[in-house]
Amino acid sequence: MAGIHVALNAAEYGTMVYLIDDTASIGGIMARLDKTFPTNDCSICIEAPRMYEVDNNEHIKILTNTEVRRITRKNGVFVVRLVKKAKFIDEDKCTGCGACTQACPITVPDGMDGKIGGTKKLISIPFPQAVPSAVAVDKRCRNGKMRADGACIGGCVVDCSQCRECPIALCVKACIKEGKDAVRLWQADTQMDIEVKSIVVASGLNPDEPEDGQYGYNVYQNVITNLQFERLMNAGGPTGGDIIRPSDNKHPKKIAWIQCVGRGLRDGGVHYCSKVCCMIAAKQTIITKEHGPDVETIVFYNDLKAYGKGFWGFYSKAVEHGVKYVRARPYDVREDERTGNLFVKYEDLDTGELKEEEVELLVLSMGLISGDRNAKLARTLGLKLDGYGFFKEKDALMRPLETNVEGIYLCGGATGPIDISESVIQASAAALKAVSNNAEVAK
Amino acid sequence: MSEDIRVGVFVCNCGSNIGGYVNVPEVVDYAKTLKNVAFADESKWSCSVDALAQIQTSIKENGINRVVVAACTPRTHEPLFKRTVKAIGLNPYLLEFVSIREQSSWVHMNTPEIATRKAKDLIKMGVAKAALLEEGEEIRLPVKTDALIVGGGIAGMTAAQSLAIQGFNVSIIEREASLGGMLNTIGEITVEDREISSQEIVKARIEEIRRYPNIKVFTNAVIEEMSGYIGNYRVTVREQANQAKTSFDVSTVIVATGMQEVKPAGKFCYGEDSRVVTQLELEGLLKKDELDNINDVVIINCVDSMNENHGCCNIGCHVSIKNALAIKNKFEDAKIHILYRTLCLVKDERSIVERAKNANIKFIRFPDEKYPEIIKNNGAMSVRAYDTLLGREFALHADLIVLTTAFEGDRSVDQIKGQLKVSANAEGFFQEAHIKLGPLDFPADGVYLCGTARSPKILKDATEEALGAAMRASIPMKRGYIEAEGIVADIDMTQCSGCGMCVNNCPYGAIKWAAEKQPEVIKALCKGCGLCAADCPKNAVSIIHFSDEQILAMVEAALEENASKKIIGFICHWCCHGAVDMAGVGRMQYPPNALLIRVMCSARVSAKHVYRAFELGAAGVFVGGCEFPTCHYIVGNYKAEKRMDRVKKSLSKQGFDPERLWVGWCSAADGPKFANIMRDMAKKLNLG
Repeated sequence: MAGIHVALNAAEYGTMVYLIDDTASIGGIMARLDKTFPTNDCSICIEAPRMYEVDNNEHIKILTNTEVRRITRKNGVFVVRLVKKAKFIDEDKCTGCGACTQACPITVPDGMDGKIGGTKKLISIPFPQAVPSAVAVDKRCRNGKMRADGACIGGCVVDCSQCRECPIALCVKACIKEGKDAVRLWQADTQMDIEVKSIVVASGLNPDEPEDGQYGYNVYQNVITNLQFERLMNAGGPTGGDIIRPSDNKHPKKIAWIQCVGRGLRDGGVHYCSKVCCMIAAKQTIITKEHGPDVETIVFYNDLKAYGKGFWGFYSKAVEHGVKYVRARPYDVREDERTGNLFVKYEDLDTGELKEEEVELLVLSMGLISGDRNAKLARTLGLKLDGYGFFKEKDALMRPLETNVEGIYLCGGATGPIDISESVIQASAAALKAVSNNAEVAK
Repeated sequence: MSEDIRVGVFVCNCGSNIGGYVNVPEVVDYAKTLKNVAFADESKWSCSVDALAQIQTSIKENGINRVVVAACTPRTHEPLFKRTVKAIGLNPYLLEFVSIREQSSWVHMNTPEIATRKAKDLIKMGVAKAALLEEGEEIRLPVKTDALIVGGGIAGMTAAQSLAIQGFNVSIIEREASLGGMLNTIGEITVEDREISSQEIVKARIEEIRRYPNIKVFTNAVIEEMSGYIGNYRVTVREQANQAKTSFDVSTVIVATGMQEVKPAGKFCYGEDSRVVTQLELEGLLKKDELDNINDVVIINCVDSMNENHGCCNIGCHVSIKNALAIKNKFEDAKIHILYRTLCLVKDERSIVERAKNANIKFIRFPDEKYPEIIKNNGAMSVRAYDTLLGREFALHADLIVLTTAFEGDRSVDQIKGQLKVSANAEGFFQEAHIKLGPLDFPADGVYLCGTARSPKILKDATEEALGAAMRASIPMKRGYIEAEGIVADIDMTQCSGCGMCVNNCPYGAIKWAAEKQPEVIKALCKGCGLCAADCPKNAVSIIHFSDEQILAMVEAALEENASKKIIGFICHWCCHGAVDMAGVGRMQYPPNALLIRVMCSARVSAKHVYRAFELGAAGVFVGGCEFPTCHYIVGNYKAEKRMDRVKKSLSKQGFDPERLWVGWCSAADGPKFANIMRDMAKKLNLG
């Protein structure tokens, strides 16, 4: 969202923008969410129109599946070497019709949705509203790694780059049958250089992953992360918005959230407050209650972060909906093998008592950590990172969002844990820096 | 209409996505029989470069002046076809897009005959509308390069500087005698792990501003009058010292009026005892070095916040600790207790807690429902509090009590609300256009907000908002105009009674009084939702490209045959249409009874559209808008819901079963929900 917003602001201002994304579609993490706090607006409903706007803006060139390899500076201009990794698709020809996806024989678990039943084909569109609206072939399939699982590609003795007309791959056939011929198994990574006056880093962040075994994660089936829960709630998610638990696909009648998982409680955890998790939990409990008012919901929390506009009212709404907030420190989770239910042992911080609660689904509220691409990107761009792996500002107070390299600016999750509206604000601010840098260089 | 209408119909096979289920040649032949159709053709992929060129050639060769494209969905492909016809000189508003893939072939895959029949009906509706289409144009409103900034605090100054760098002319209006705002009342600001003097920050900013001759500063001045709209604001400023008035025009306005402390009068002995002060008052005492030797300090957080009146103040926890450290700096032996409900320190602000603990500052958590009390005994003051950790009550002696109170919008909020026609929430903070995606915009173009006028926040966040708001204001000033899509309201003054309903209800303030009883649409501000048109008691307001005539022509075309088996659906472009598209992409099979008519917003659907459908014998009517609270026109779905409630009531009076009118609120991810509504309707209305 931050990158999209920078692009739209700068393009409306009249500046040419390259929007580089290393995934197959623009949209970032927001495209995966169900609702946004504190208004419960539908996430993709408000994001997709902006994505189409980007797509239709003649001042913006979208480059997906693309990475920055290196930059050099020449007469005040950045020369950026980009590598567009093969999607094995001719994006200009692909219309996202999905004939290839239907033809593909192999279904695999889909990234973070895997645990909750999300699947995808080896050739598929990243999500229904993706921009560009084109499919991508899973690299593993193209490289023959899925052959043992029954994939049609990869068993051929001829190198794709020599053959160029696959008689084997079902996706190629399906596409040709549709009259498109957009699947390009012999496509190679391509390099290109672009020249720009300013660079904005909006590379986002990652949700933290629990360690195996933490509160039973990856040991007990019915322990999931808050992002996985978000996908469960999402009408566009793997269950079509049905909140069911992984072990038996039943609708859980009692769900608990544990806040601050991975945060500072022990070594190696996230030592700062990610600030949005309290509101994510409030959102998820409210939606759960709206899906089924009889579902019991408990939030085990420490301090309540209701820091933003309308956040306190949103928390109050959760309480009105009957969400139980318990100030507690859970210290143990055990599974009842028979039922798949979980016993959460915790210390009630208000009374000091040790208590236990049986729940049918346990959600771990994970903190936000710096993007996994930050270290590499920082090296490429010559930027400094802070102790947590987020990009560092040169002078946070007087020159916010500027970096140690003149002409490179930051916004969104690249700077630290952040919510959507703050990302949008920073995006406008970074766009201003980028276009005014342009103006000064032009003088 | 004297013009000879020649409609060209272009049907896409979308490979086999349409052609595999819909008999496209049959549909093309059918289209040729429709009134006004001069030409019809199919192509394998209408969106391919060669097919687009073929469409252009066909238009030219056959003298086509209205175009119907029957293909996938307008939400993704309409801009492409609009560009295509525009390229050969045809006005793009003369194009109508009919969705036969998402709305027919993909959702009726098992019944090709039915899919074909429905595609024909949809095209017939499209042709009926196309025949009535009129040329539209993007409307431009010139915007000059002068901006006004209301409030000379750090946010206002930062925004001013950011605009001035780009060469725009900026006027800052500041009520106080000097620039700096709330920072002038604060001693120090925490940056990472140290404190720096806020006076230094203000000084540095003022020096930067002075370098720009295109920034004009009015201090000790108030805005006497301010009215207008983007590109056309008229402002009168009165300088309080000499009562001199200056009037000037600006194109954009940034509101940076800041916030003020809520004085907790009558609570915790505030106002009765000079030893009880607020955090801001403490800052003043520290700054002026007016604190007498003190030993025992008790700080009470969340005074009148996190309750039904005020939310979390966002900064109080941090401020209380920072000021506790400042007291410790002056009086090393002072005993300081911070009584708190919850510690709301975000990101890595927590490090200040460590510093406080090292300085021997004590933290005590009290329960939400049990606030501390102040006890006075022979002039001595103490605070009685309940410690949740110890589970008991205790008393602390205090010779200074500091209350961390809530914040509210500045006292000028009401005046500015009236002048700029913007709104504020119950706490007096201005209300942005969209809390997530339009945080620095107001619904109306040309006026923006930033800093603590929006909500309480730290200096860094206020500075970022100021930069962001400056960007938002820069865009129209740099372009020199704003442009609105041609889908706008138009008032027929021969019909208008001057009741003012449209003026009062427009969510964008786009309809103004030109003279008494004479509303005028500022077309560049109009977003085309159609709320005014649907509500107008005199039918005087029309929406270009979605006129009553055009909508009714579609209803009539749809119901010409087999009306008793058909449902007329009105769906909003943004969300419900998204749900329909998603049901299509997901190949969700549902009954084919509904023929959908796209409107920009569900608020466009008026009572007469619904009545007409029932008069013509429709089995049912469906009105679909965005899922609450989302609406791309702020309140459209709420208004539509209310209106349809009224329509239901009056339907029975007219002899129609109100149960045949359905409303549904679908997000763009609600494909399954939409498909279910279609199934339910077919079942309940016995359309089997």
